[in-house]
Amino acid sequence: MGSRYLIRKVVGACLTIFMIVILNFVLFRMMPGSPDRILLRNPNVTADAMAAARTRWGLDKPLIPDQLVDYLEATASGDLGFSFKFHGEQVTDVLAGRLWPTVILFGAGEVLAIIFGLALGAYSGWKRGGPIDYIGNGISLILYSMPYFVIGILILGVFAVGLHWFPTSGMLTIGGGDDTFASQLLDFFGHLALPVTTVAIGLIGQYSILMRSSVIETLGEDYVTTARAKGLTSGRILRSHALPNALLPAVTLIAINLGYVIGGAITVEVVFNWPGLGTLTVTALEARDYPVLQGIFLLLSISVVLANLVADLIYGRLDPRVRS
Amino acid sequence: MTAPAVPEQSVRNERLRLRLQAIRTFARRFASRPDGVIGVIVLLVFTVLAIAPSLFVGDLQTATTATGPSLSPPTAANLLGTDELGRDILNLTIHGTRISMVIGLLATIVTIFLGALVGIISGYVGGRVDTVLMRITDFFLVLPTFVLALILAPIILDLVGANSEFFGIRVTLLVIVVVIGVTSWASTARIIRSQALSVKELAFVGRARVIGSGPGHIMWRHILPNVMNLIVANTVLVFGGSILTETTLSFIGLGDPFAPSWGQVLNAAESAGAMGLGAWWYVVPPSVCIVLVVLAFTLVGSALDDVLNPRLRVRR
Repeated sequence: MGSRYLIRKVVGACLTIFMIVILNFVLFRMMPGSPDRILLRNPNVTADAMAAARTRWGLDKPLIPDQLVDYLEATASGDLGFSFKFHGEQVTDVLAGRLWPTVILFGAGEVLAIIFGLALGAYSGWKRGGPIDYIGNGISLILYSMPYFVIGILILGVFAVGLHWFPTSGMLTIGGGDDTFASQLLDFFGHLALPVTTVAIGLIGQYSILMRSSVIETLGEDYVTTARAKGLTSGRILRSHALPNALLPAVTLIAINLGYVIGGAITVEVVFNWPGLGTLTVTALEARDYPVLQGIFLLLSISVVLANLVADLIYGRLDPRVRS
Repeated sequence: MTAPAVPEQSVRNERLRLRLQAIRTFARRFASRPDGVIGVIVLLVFTVLAIAPSLFVGDLQTATTATGPSLSPPTAANLLGTDELGRDILNLTIHGTRISMVIGLLATIVTIFLGALVGIISGYVGGRVDTVLMRITDFFLVLPTFVLALILAPIILDLVGANSEFFGIRVTLLVIVVVIGVTSWASTARIIRSQALSVKELAFVGRARVIGSGPGHIMWRHILPNVMNLIVANTVLVFGGSILTETTLSFIGLGDPFAPSWGQVLNAAESAGAMGLGAWWYVVPPSVCIVLVVLAFTLVGSALDDVLNPRLRVRR
C-alpha cells in the first residue's frame, strides 16, 4: 500500500513537470516575431543567412514532433539557451550565479517564519479569545494584507535610512576588499538581516493564521475530549495530542503555498537590491530577456513541484490515513 | 379534485416577501460581525474615491501639469508632499484608487467566471471531463502562478502593442487583468466543484433530469443558484487578492506609467530612490491604501463566508 502511494505521487509530480516544460515550449512559440528573428536579434539579416540559421537550429523542421523533441532533449540536458541581456551567456550559468543568494534569503526567512508563525498560531489557537490571540490575529491579518515589498520598504525606511543600523542595499559592502573572513561574514549578515526579516514577517501572518485554525480544529476532535476526560493537564493535551496532529495540515499547506510565496518574495530582493533571482527577474523583464525569464520560470516551478512532492511524502509517512 | 387556483398576484407577493425576509436575515447576521461592517465602510469610502477622484483632488496630475516643487515634504499646498516630477502625492494616491480598484474588479470577474465555469462543469458532468479539468486545475494550483504572470504579461504586451486602447481602457491594464484572471482561477474552481458535487446529488436535480432538462439548463438554473453563496464569498476574497497581485506586478514594472495605480506609484518611488532620500511621504500613502483595502476585503470576505456558508467554511 505504501509503495503504491509513493509511486502515484512521484508519477504525478513527473507529469506536472512534463506539463511545465511543454507550457514553456508553447510560451516560447507565442513570443512576438518568429523564434529565429528573436534569436538573431537583427531585423536586417539577409534571407540566406536566415535560412542557414533556420536549418542550423532545426527551425525548418515541423513544430511537432521534431522541434518539440529537440527542445525536450535540450532542456533535459540542462541547455536553456542563451541570454539576450548578459552578452550571450548560457542561461543556466546566469541562473546558477543568482541561485545561492536567493536560497539563503528564502531558506532563512522560511525557517524563521515557520518557527515563529507556528508558535504564535499554536498559542493563539490554544488560548483562543485571549489577549495574545486577539492581538496576534489582528497583526497577522494586517501582515497578510501587505505585499512583501511594502513591508520591505517600511523596514528599509526605518532601520536602514532612518536609524542607519543596517546597510540599505546589496549583499556585501563594495570595496570591502582585503578584510578578514570573519568581518566579511559579519558584513554579509548585516546585509542579510533586513531582507530576511521582511520575508519572515511577510510569512508569519499566513503561517500563524493557518496554524491557529488547524489547532482549533484539532482541539475539537474526540481524542482530545478523551484526553481531557482522562484528566490530563491542558499543557500536556496540547503537547502530546493536539500539536502533532495540528502540525500535519499546517506543514502541507505551507508547502502548497510555496508557489505564491516565491512570487511575492521576488519583490523583497528588488527593494533591498539583493543580487538573487528576484532582481534577475526584474532585469530580465526590463530587457525582455525571454530565455532568462523562461529559465527562471522553469527553475522555480520545478522547485515548487518538488517541494510539494516532498511534503506529500512526509505527510503520507506521518499520517497513514492519506496513504489508502 | 382540482387544486384551488391561486391568484398570480398573491404568488408574486409571497415570493417577494420570502426574498425580503431572506435579505433581512442576512443583513442581521452580517451586522452582528463588527469586523465585516468596518470592512464594508472602508470599501464604501474607497468606492466613492474611485468613482469620482476628481471631485476631491482635481484632475490627475501628469509630468506636464504638475505644479509643485520636486520631492517636497508635506506642506499646506501639498498635504502629502510631492514626487520627483512635482506631482502631488495626494492627487496620485486618490486617482490610483480608481485604477487599482477597476483592475482588481475586472480581474476578479475574469477569475470568478473561469473558476465557476470549470468548477460547475467539472462537478456536474463528472467522469473523464472532471478528471481532465481537475488535472489542469491542480497544475495551476501547484504552479508559481505569479511567476507565470510575470512572463505572460510581457509576451502578451509585445504581441498586442503596449500603446493601443480597447474600449477606452489602455491595453497594458487589460493585459494585467487577463494575466491575473488566467493565473488565479484554480482555487475558485476547486471550491465550487466540491459544492457542485453535493448539489448534484440533491433530489430536485434528479427530478429536473427526469422531466428532460438538458445538462446546460440544469447547470444554469439549478447548480449555479445553489453555489452562488460560495461564489459571492469567494468573489470578495479574490477581489482583495487581485488588487494585491496587480500592485505587485505594477511594482515590478509591468504597470502603466500613464495610468498610475498604487503599485505603479510605488514603482516610481522605487526608481526615484525615494526611500533612500528619506521621502517617506512618497511611499506611505499608497502603501496605507493598499493595506486598508486588502484588509477590508479580507474582513468582509471572511464575515460573508461565515454568514453564507456556516458549515462549508473554507480553511485558508
